[in-house]
Amino acid sequence: MRTLGVLAFLAVALVVSAAAGILIGAVAIGPGDVLAALFGSNDVSGTIIRELRLPRVLGAALVGGSLATAGALLQGLLRNPLADPFVTGTSAGATLAAVAAIVLGLAAPLVPLAAFAGALVTVTLVWRLARLGGGTTVLTVLLAGVVLTSFAGAVVTFLLVSSDRLALQLRAVLGWLQGGVSVISWPELGVAAIVVALGLIFALVLAHRVDAYAFGEETAATLGVDPDRTTTAVLGATALLSGAAVALAGLVGFVGLVIPHALRFVIGATHRRLVPASFLAGAAALVLADLGARTVIAPAELPIGAITGLIGAPFFLALLVRSRRIVV
Amino acid sequence: MRSRFVTLLAVLLLTLAACGGAVSVTPSPSVTASPFPAALTDFQNRSVTVPARPERLVSIGPSITAFLFALGAGPRVVGVDDFSDEPAEAATREHVGGIKVNFEKVVALKPDLVFSVKFSDGTIEKLQAASLNVLVVDPQSVFDVAKTATLLGKAVGADGEALAQSIQQRVDAVKTKTATVATRPRVYHEIDASDPAKIFTVGPGSYINDLIDIAGGVNIAARAASAYPQLSAEEILRSDPEIIVLAADAYSAKPADVAARQGWSVIAAVKNGRIFSIEPNLINRPGPRVGEAAEAYAKLVHPELFR
Repeated sequence: MRTLGVLAFLAVALVVSAAAGILIGAVAIGPGDVLAALFGSNDVSGTIIRELRLPRVLGAALVGGSLATAGALLQGLLRNPLADPFVTGTSAGATLAAVAAIVLGLAAPLVPLAAFAGALVTVTLVWRLARLGGGTTVLTVLLAGVVLTSFAGAVVTFLLVSSDRLALQLRAVLGWLQGGVSVISWPELGVAAIVVALGLIFALVLAHRVDAYAFGEETAATLGVDPDRTTTAVLGATALLSGAAVALAGLVGFVGLVIPHALRFVIGATHRRLVPASFLAGAAALVLADLGARTVIAPAELPIGAITGLIGAPFFLALLVRSRRIVV
Repeated sequence: MRSRFVTLLAVLLLTLAACGGAVSVTPSPSVTASPFPAALTDFQNRSVTVPARPERLVSIGPSITAFLFALGAGPRVVGVDDFSDEPAEAATREHVGGIKVNFEKVVALKPDLVFSVKFSDGTIEKLQAASLNVLVVDPQSVFDVAKTATLLGKAVGADGEALAQSIQQRVDAVKTKTATVATRPRVYHEIDASDPAKIFTVGPGSYINDLIDIAGGVNIAARAASAYPQLSAEEILRSDPEIIVLAADAYSAKPADVAARQGWSVIAAVKNGRIFSIEPNLINRPGPRVGEAAEAYAKLVHPELFR
């Protein structure tokens, strides 16, 4: 009952933040005009709402929701409170592919595709490495993820330093590294929504298996959960979710780490509840963070990562101090 | 094009000489007192004394280099920064670094006068610590260009006033042309949008803002808070620029890219296909070609004046 209440509250919070995100922006547009714009008025306000603000708000919701869901799954699977959606190397792989695409001068729409592919390739590599000894163990997943992240980071640094062409594209790369949902096109959004929906369905189906991991892989096996297949399936779901998020918005930190933890304080560690709650809360949080990013120093924009870190870190510490422990 | 420019310049110079003869007695070189030692005040309000006609010049700043050659001091320039490529001959001089100055190279060239743009990392102080005579010259606006010509003329013992006047006349010629236009189109000049969340344009106090004004346009960011402000895409759409200008270098967006941006199809400039690229050196360097720059910009904003 309490869970239903929390879920309903989060859903309302998401709708309210989305409404705020559409109503408020760099250019002041009255609520009446916003409504008219949503239903197809053809003036400049209409274009600003339909082509700039609406895809941006929906994009932020998708990114925040996927990151928080992936974070919840990975923290459960790896039994590690520090796990975030990027612990399996997705961020590093996506960044490497995106930077390489920029260096090679690929057309802008290809950069997110490259990032998505980079994220999937890295997770596959991590999974292959973790299977070297036969079965997949979560400890090797973690280690392989950390090692691949360092390696990809080193290659990115090398590319950044050695490429002259890139020296002048540095702001494009920096924008990517800081994360942001500023300009998302409708086709991009559509493709990402399908990928995220798939990932979310997987996550909901897999949630009860992750719960069995709370006492370790051996216990999970005695509970009738095949650890090998479960690990593979969870990695696949998180790869879809975080890959789509990275492709849309670059590296947005903190949401995937903080949101699931914060929710565990409220509704407990059961993943069947945690997964849907994380999606709704992550979506609402990132829509609000993006609203902050584009209004705090308007007309200039802050990187969204600065907002999530600035508000997320103290919020998280306050929760930590109140409970004096982290429930995983 | 080039020959027209040369003709125009020749006409201007002749007019100038005639005017000079009519209103004042031009002193002959033999009776002119030597301009040295020259006491100068540079762009950082530092007092600099040039004791004798300098014979070995180092220029750190592409527009300074262009001025020195325009003043006829090119043969005395022994070193330039890595970006100095105007005129082409300048690039043949010894290179002394770009964003980071190579102090050893500067000292090894034994210059008796070093010209440099402003640096915030202590470069000027380090050059002085190496016992070099440094004059800071950093033109940022169209107004600064004439001031630069005069100052550099005094520093190297050349007729900077004449150069300043010929530049000013060419700028004034464009101003005269655009003074009577019926409408002043709204102009958006893009500096950098490689990060789509952070679009940079030109604001008041910048060289390009001056050029837009002289060209008979209205900068959509003319009332921004800084010389290089950041704009959101929403504001650009709302301002509805009639002309969009980009730099024609490898790193800037192309007109087709700009037209294809999400939502930008409602902008008048995009609808009417008035998105242009302009030679980057011309608009990025407040140098002796400022008249040419103003004219090139005016041709984009008011093509009807140049038919």
